[in-house]
This record gives sequence, C-alpha cells and structure tokens, in this order.
Amino acid sequence: MTLVPVTYKGGVYRHDIIVDLIDDLGGYIIQKQVVAQDVFLQSLIPKEDIELVKATGRPLGGEVIESPLVGTEIAIVSPSLDIHHLPHTSCDVAEYLRRVGAKTNMVGLSRGFGKRIANLSIEERDIINEHDCAVFMLGNFETCIEYKMHSLRRGITVPIIVTGGPDRETLKRIIEPSVDGYVGGLGRIGHRMKKQEGEIEYLDRLIDEVSGVLDIRRESIAKDPLSVSPARLMSVIDEDLGITKGSTHPTPVTVQIAGLRVKIPYGEYADYVASIKIDDSVKVGDVAEILPSRMRDYILLRIKPFSDTGIMV
Amino acid sequence: MALDYFEVECREESGRLAYKDIAADVLQDLDLIKVVSKLYIRIDLDFPFFFAAGVLRKMPPPVKISDFAGVMVRDGNIVLDITDERYMAQMLTVLWERYGRDRVIQPDRFTVTIDSSIAEAKEIEDTVVFDQRRSIYKDLLYALQWIAPEGFRVRREWVDDHRFWYVSSENTLSPQAIDGIISEKMAMLAADGEDGGAFA
Repeated sequence: MTLVPVTYKGGVYRHDIIVDLIDDLGGYIIQKQVVAQDVFLQSLIPKEDIELVKATGRPLGGEVIESPLVGTEIAIVSPSLDIHHLPHTSCDVAEYLRRVGAKTNMVGLSRGFGKRIANLSIEERDIINEHDCAVFMLGNFETCIEYKMHSLRRGITVPIIVTGGPDRETLKRIIEPSVDGYVGGLGRIGHRMKKQEGEIEYLDRLIDEVSGVLDIRRESIAKDPLSVSPARLMSVIDEDLGITKGSTHPTPVTVQIAGLRVKIPYGEYADYVASIKIDDSVKVGDVAEILPSRMRDYILLRIKPFSDTGIMV
Repeated sequence: MALDYFEVECREESGRLAYKDIAADVLQDLDLIKVVSKLYIRIDLDFPFFFAAGVLRKMPPPVKISDFAGVMVRDGNIVLDITDERYMAQMLTVLWERYGRDRVIQPDRFTVTIDSSIAEAKEIEDTVVFDQRRSIYKDLLYALQWIAPEGFRVRREWVDDHRFWYVSSENTLSPQAIDGIISEKMAMLAADGEDGGAFA
C-alpha cells in the first residue's frame, strides 16, 4: 500500500466523515487544523483511495490537494530574527512550505549575520540536525555568501538547500563543497512576496527543490526500509498517551521522514514511550532510538531500519 | 520613488539592485519619502562597510502652543482657546507633566484652563509641543540601521538640520578608512542642486 501525502480542505460541517474514512482506509492524519469555517487535514492516504476521498468530500465542499511535503519537518535557518530578515523573506518562505504540508521550524541564529563574524553555535547545529532538511536563507551578496557559508554549514549532516539573492548558477559556483539544493533570487527583501514573476516563482522553485531533495532521501531510505512507518508510530503513541487531545501545539507529535518529535518531557516519559506496544510482540523501544531533543525538553525518536532490527511492523 | 536623487553603488549588480529595493521599501514603510530629498548609498564588500549620505527637505518649525491656541488670562486662570485640535494630545501630555493632571482642567473640547498662580501666559505660549525634526531624526536613523546589513554593528552617524551620513561595518571604523568617502560624498550632495548648495 503506497501512502500519498495530500491535504483535504473542506468545511467543518461533517468533516468527521472524512476523518473516519481516512482512518478506515488505513491512512493517517498528520495534522488537523480548523481555521474559521474550514478544516485542513494533512494526511497520508492510500494511492488507490484518493478518488474515494475526493468523491466523499465533494458533497461537503471538500477538495483534495497534492501536498508533497506532508510528513516532513524542515528547518528554515535565518541569519537572525531581527527586522532585517523577518517577516520577509523568512516568514514568506516558511509559510509557503507549510502550504504544501511541511512542518517548518524557524531557526534564528544568534550570530548568523555579517560576513566575517557569522557563525553557528553547537546548540543551533544540533537543532538543525534534528530536521529532515535545512533551508539556509542567505543574503544578496555573493561575496558574503561565499565567505560565510563555510562557518554556517559546519557540522550540519542533513541536506542543505541554500537560497540567496544571486542567481542559481552563481550560488552553485560559489558554494564549495556543493550543497543539495540552490534557489537564486530569494535574498533579503523589504516587502511581502506577492508578484508572480520574480517572487512567487522563486518560492515555487524552492518547493520543487525541497521536494526533490527529500525524494532522494526517501529513495535512499526505501533501499533499507524503516522498521515501522513514522505515521503509524505517531498514531500508536498518540492513541496511547492522548497527546493531541491534551496539547495546544499545532503538531504535538511531529512526523519526520524517518522519525518523530514527541512534544512531551523526555525525563518523565522516555521510558514509558519506549514501553508502548505497537503490536503484541513489538514495543516502540525495539524499533526506535528514543533521544532527548535539543528543542526544549521534547523527545526525539529515530526509527531504526529493518537491517538493524530485523523487525517490520 | 519620489526622491530628487537616489543612487546605490556596489560592485555586485544583483546586490546593488536588491539594496535599492530594500532602501525604497524601508523609506516607504517609515513614511520618509517626503522627508528625504537625496540619498546616496555605497556598499563596499571588501572592507566591508555600508555608507549612506543624504539631504533632507526643509522641515516645518517646531509647533508652539501659540500656533494653534489663543492664550488669555481670565479670572485668575490662564485660558487656552484651541483652534486646531491636531496637537491637543501632545499639548496635554506636556502640560500634565509640567503642572500636574489635577491643575490642567479641560471644561470642554476646545478649552483648557490652568491656574495663573502656577503658570505664566508667555511661558505657555512659547511651549513647544511637537517638533517634527526630533522624531524624523529618530526615524531616519532607524531607517538607515534597517537598510544596512544586519551584521554591521560598528557604526557612526551624523545628522544636522538638512544633511546626514551614516556608516556601519563589522570591522573597526578607522577615520582613515571613512573620512575620504564622507567628505567626498557630502561635497557632491552639497554641490548638486539647490537643497545641498545652501549648506556647502
């Protein structure tokens, strides 16, 4: 069964029908968002049942939108959280990535600005490495990007996509060694991105670039599949602990490509999470490493591959 | 943009155009387009430093109470007869601070009275309640800090009634490094057109 990442967008009225249907089909709802009269369900749905969900949602005014980044957590790395970088372009980019299903976290570096003085702290490095990929939002000058990129990428192990003012070819030429993705034309700006030409088109390119980078990651994981799908593990943990019901986080259990971020204290719950049963003979601790996250006191789960555990649930 | 002169100089063309847009957006956001008449920006990527110099348009003089209110002494009170409500809030703030809230009485919308034993009519007439130049300089320096690249925390600035310059860097700003460009560009702005010519 191939699960496809989609977003269901429809009215709040009777949307529980869709929620039950996705559940019955063996799909997973990664995030449910109610905005005024609308409900957004970011879900993974079996490929062959997409038409059924569309047909069921039609009388309720619902539509199913392809969202390639559902089930991914992406770090948007901004040189700082000062007015120079926020709300444009960092928030524009983060919002655009969220529209296609990604869970984005803005990482504002404490000293990411400047040319000579730019650097990355150990805590920032570790937080970025907890994500599926990192989008580095750099400035308008190729001289500065070339100079500072070495210090900003030090120790980063996840795929990096660099955006900046110079065009894509220039970014490709100046960044050595190469990174996983480049998007030109997205440097520092002073207004909200609205124009299709020269603004939104670059955001669309960024989506393509991020999707491409994550597809490569998924393909490499598929060669040695995970012991359990992250979405299934999410639903098992959430069902047992009832985290979503008792939390105000938008995504209390965040799904990543090969892991989960569970937003409850590590000290109190780590052992319990490890003991949760996925089925009769397999516990969470058997198929995943349970680690303390550098983000607050959350729990980070890294799902082990089949070759490591010999288990597939 | 409605500036008489606006130029950004940098050896990287894409960066130059980006900073031209940023400067225009920031000036527009802070409503400074009508205030600045000339603006020159240079970004040196090697030193590196950010330099801005410009000329301001003629500013209106500070607003005194006598400009928008009649001041009379009547029955042991100083009575202010307000003709333009625009500066009412600023005026009340100044008077409250000076004489106390309980001594500044506003019997109706256009009248304010103060006990003449604690105040003099002449003193009240000459009280400045709003000076656009003050807030403009704050806004102007804020705008320049916003336009300049964020890492450039070492900075020097100078503003007088009509002209200003601002230079910032991440490295030490020695006088040898910046004096040349400051005097050259200020002379250029002064010689170029009527506004600047008056201050040369």
